[in-house]
Amino acid sequence: MVFIMPASVIAKIYGFLALLFFLSSINAVRATTFDIPSAHISKIGNGHVLNATINYPLTPRVIEALDNGIPIIFFQEFKLLDITPLLGEYWQWEETLWQTKIRYELRYHALAQQYILQDLATGKESHFPSLEGTLHALGKVQNFTLPPEHLVNTNDLTFLLRSGIDLYALPTPMRPGAIISSKWHLTSPWTPAQWH
Amino acid sequence: MALDFIKRFSSGTAPYFSLAALLLPLAYLLSAATQDSSRFNDLFLIIFGLGIATLLLLMAILSRSLFRLYRDFKSNQAGSRLTVRLVSLFVLLILVSTTVVYSFSMHFLHRGINSWFDVKVEQALNDSLELSRSAFGIRMRTLLRQTRMMAGLLNELPQQDVNHNLRELSKLSGAIELSLWTMDGQLITSSMENTVIFIPSRPSETIFHQLETQDAYISLDPEQDNLQLRAAVLLPPKQGILQTRFLQVIFPVNDRLSELGKTVQEAYTDYKELSYLRKPLISVFTLTLSLIVLLTILTSIWFAIWISRRIVEPLQALAAGTQSVASGNYDTQLDVSGHDEIGFLVRSFNQMTQRLTSSRNATEQSHRLLEQQTNYLTTVLGSLSSGVITIDNRLFLRTANIASSKILHINLQQRLESTVDRLASQAPHLLIFTQLIEQKIAQGESWQQQIELQKKKSMQTLMCRGTPLPNNNGWVIIFDDVTTLLQAQRNAAWGEVARRLAHEIKNPLTPIQLSAERLQHKYLPMLPADQSSTLTKLTNTIVQQVEAMKNMVNDFSDYARNPGLQLKIQPIGKLISEVLALYQSNTSHQFILLKSPQDISLNIDSVRFRQILHNLLKNAIEASEDAHLAVDIIVSYQAVTQDNIPWLEISITDHGPGIPANMENKLFEPYASNKTKGTGLGLAIVQKIVEEHGGHVWAENLTPSGASIIIRLPLEGAIP
Repeated sequence: MVFIMPASVIAKIYGFLALLFFLSSINAVRATTFDIPSAHISKIGNGHVLNATINYPLTPRVIEALDNGIPIIFFQEFKLLDITPLLGEYWQWEETLWQTKIRYELRYHALAQQYILQDLATGKESHFPSLEGTLHALGKVQNFTLPPEHLVNTNDLTFLLRSGIDLYALPTPMRPGAIISSKWHLTSPWTPAQWH
Repeated sequence: MALDFIKRFSSGTAPYFSLAALLLPLAYLLSAATQDSSRFNDLFLIIFGLGIATLLLLMAILSRSLFRLYRDFKSNQAGSRLTVRLVSLFVLLILVSTTVVYSFSMHFLHRGINSWFDVKVEQALNDSLELSRSAFGIRMRTLLRQTRMMAGLLNELPQQDVNHNLRELSKLSGAIELSLWTMDGQLITSSMENTVIFIPSRPSETIFHQLETQDAYISLDPEQDNLQLRAAVLLPPKQGILQTRFLQVIFPVNDRLSELGKTVQEAYTDYKELSYLRKPLISVFTLTLSLIVLLTILTSIWFAIWISRRIVEPLQALAAGTQSVASGNYDTQLDVSGHDEIGFLVRSFNQMTQRLTSSRNATEQSHRLLEQQTNYLTTVLGSLSSGVITIDNRLFLRTANIASSKILHINLQQRLESTVDRLASQAPHLLIFTQLIEQKIAQGESWQQQIELQKKKSMQTLMCRGTPLPNNNGWVIIFDDVTTLLQAQRNAAWGEVARRLAHEIKNPLTPIQLSAERLQHKYLPMLPADQSSTLTKLTNTIVQQVEAMKNMVNDFSDYARNPGLQLKIQPIGKLISEVLALYQSNTSHQFILLKSPQDISLNIDSVRFRQILHNLLKNAIEASEDAHLAVDIIVSYQAVTQDNIPWLEISITDHGPGIPANMENKLFEPYASNKTKGTGLGLAIVQKIVEEHGGHVWAENLTPSGASIIIRLPLEGAIP
């Protein structure tokens, strides 16, 4: 369901909430975030594939929203960097060679009592009777093919990935609260993948 | 430099333009972000920055306005109190109205949003969901049994017939898809209702997991727009087949049922979502409302200050204008703003100042005219030889011209605003004058009278005229010193008498003298001796008397003679010495000449001057001799200065009996002599000659005895 609100009202809300967010983000104590315990890039034939595991420890606030029919958008972001150190590790020249973002929608189907995970790019859906199973499936990145044109020489290349919840995709009334709440800020840090 | 920039930026209209410049893009960006929420991610920082800047700027503008108001109020500037009062009133109104609106809005907001949710509706939705689940549950159980039967049947069949029978079972059961899988996830065989699709849908990991512990799995799967039922049943172990197998069957759901289920699902989800979003929604609306109220209050306060200043500004200008007028600046003009009552007031003020300016100019013009007239009058009065004074009805001296001071020998300019009584007490010789004024003013009519004032050494005759001023404002009194005029008139009269006497008497004297001499010459021989002596005596008497009359007539002639001075620069000391030398033959007479330290020469007629000295010396000698006193005469001369005019002062002093009291005032008048001999013209001639030389002469009695005749002749030779 989409809430339609007057633009002026939204404008005022965001103006004020942006200030609150700014203030809260200064001292916000970070809660547990998603994490990527393993990420490996393997060479298969002429190409490279990524296999990674991502843990999604959802907070009760997120689970509550999910159980109440709010669709949650997860994103997985990947980027390939060419890093040239200029002054050791303190000052590096980073050139982004390639990056992409995959978005998944997770929602609960009350009648079927199943969680539905949908790849928003392809529209492909998967059903899971439990949330754990859904998150497990979501966190399993298998044989993600990397662009071969950038991987002729993998020296000095760094592959980073991260995953999180797209807060701006939440329903409008929830968005301000989510933006200023640490319980919704679960995005993992950029994690480098190991080259094999 | 940075400080200058901040000052320049914070003054004038720059902050308001900046606020507008911030608000416009902010409104646009927010509108854009709201229309398409995905754009908000990109615009977030810009909107955030602009929002903060706008709020800060608004607060800064408000703070500046409040600070200015406070500063004006503290410094007690004109209009600041009214501004504060207006602002307070506006703010109070704003706060009251906003608070009321805010409270009601909050109340309606909470009630409005909460009213969307109804317990009965929620229960009905829950029940409908439960009902749907139950309906699908029955169907699912039936299908699961059906699947078990199909699995049992397939398990009984030999391996090679499984595929064929699978197709048959698919047709019989109405399933969309039948597939036989190993627990390793390998497809053994399948049958699809849709012949276009060859690959069956792979069982999910959940199915594998569940079949590891249980023998069957059934679920309702939402597939795209439809619902499907997925059942999986383990095939019992069979000899010769090592791998565990399971049959997955996907049954379609009746279209109508699917649609109903979908409707229930959507309604339930929407309601649940809405119910869940109730609190954030109320919070957001509350925040929005609060923010709007805050912005409204801030803007309204600022606007209240601005409008109050706008209202008070003309009043301030009026107050400043009034103060300016009060301090004498009558040509103050204010800018007329608007056509309202204040504009009317400002226009009236401008008209008033214009009229005041006109009146002041007219007054100044009148004043200047009056000053000119006064100056003119003062100049005229100052140049008059007559004394003019004005006195008010209380006998206070108001004005006096210069001539009046000279005539009365008292500085009247320093004694203005004094009463005439006070004048008399300060100058006793004016007593007659002041008494005359008091007496005549009491009568209240114009008057004219001649009075004589006692000067130090002589009498002064004044001709006084008094006229009342218009409107009973006092009196103007005009007086002239007619002493000299009267003296001249007298002298002229005496001169005329002398001239006629000389003319009338001198003519018969010579025939009388000749006749007497002829009588003596002719008849003396003819008379006897005793009578001849008588004749001789008589004729001699006639001749002597005629001679005496001739002398007298000559004196008259001298007195009456027209002035014909032979002026020449003469050393005075030498002249006096020469005249004194003629008198020093008589040793019983003593003459002392006190010479001036410096030699003085004067432009005089030496013959007349000698006559002056002769007459005075003769007078002095006769005065002493008549009183049988020793002749002891001191003659002195010196230069003196009076009223910045240099004079030659010659004094001839004797030690005789002095001038009798009855003679003091008329000593220099003709025939004013108490001597038995002489014509009485000596001193009159002296005065006449001295006056012909532009000088004057007077006499003083000395103490204890003696008298002094003093002559003053102008040293600069300005002989009138």
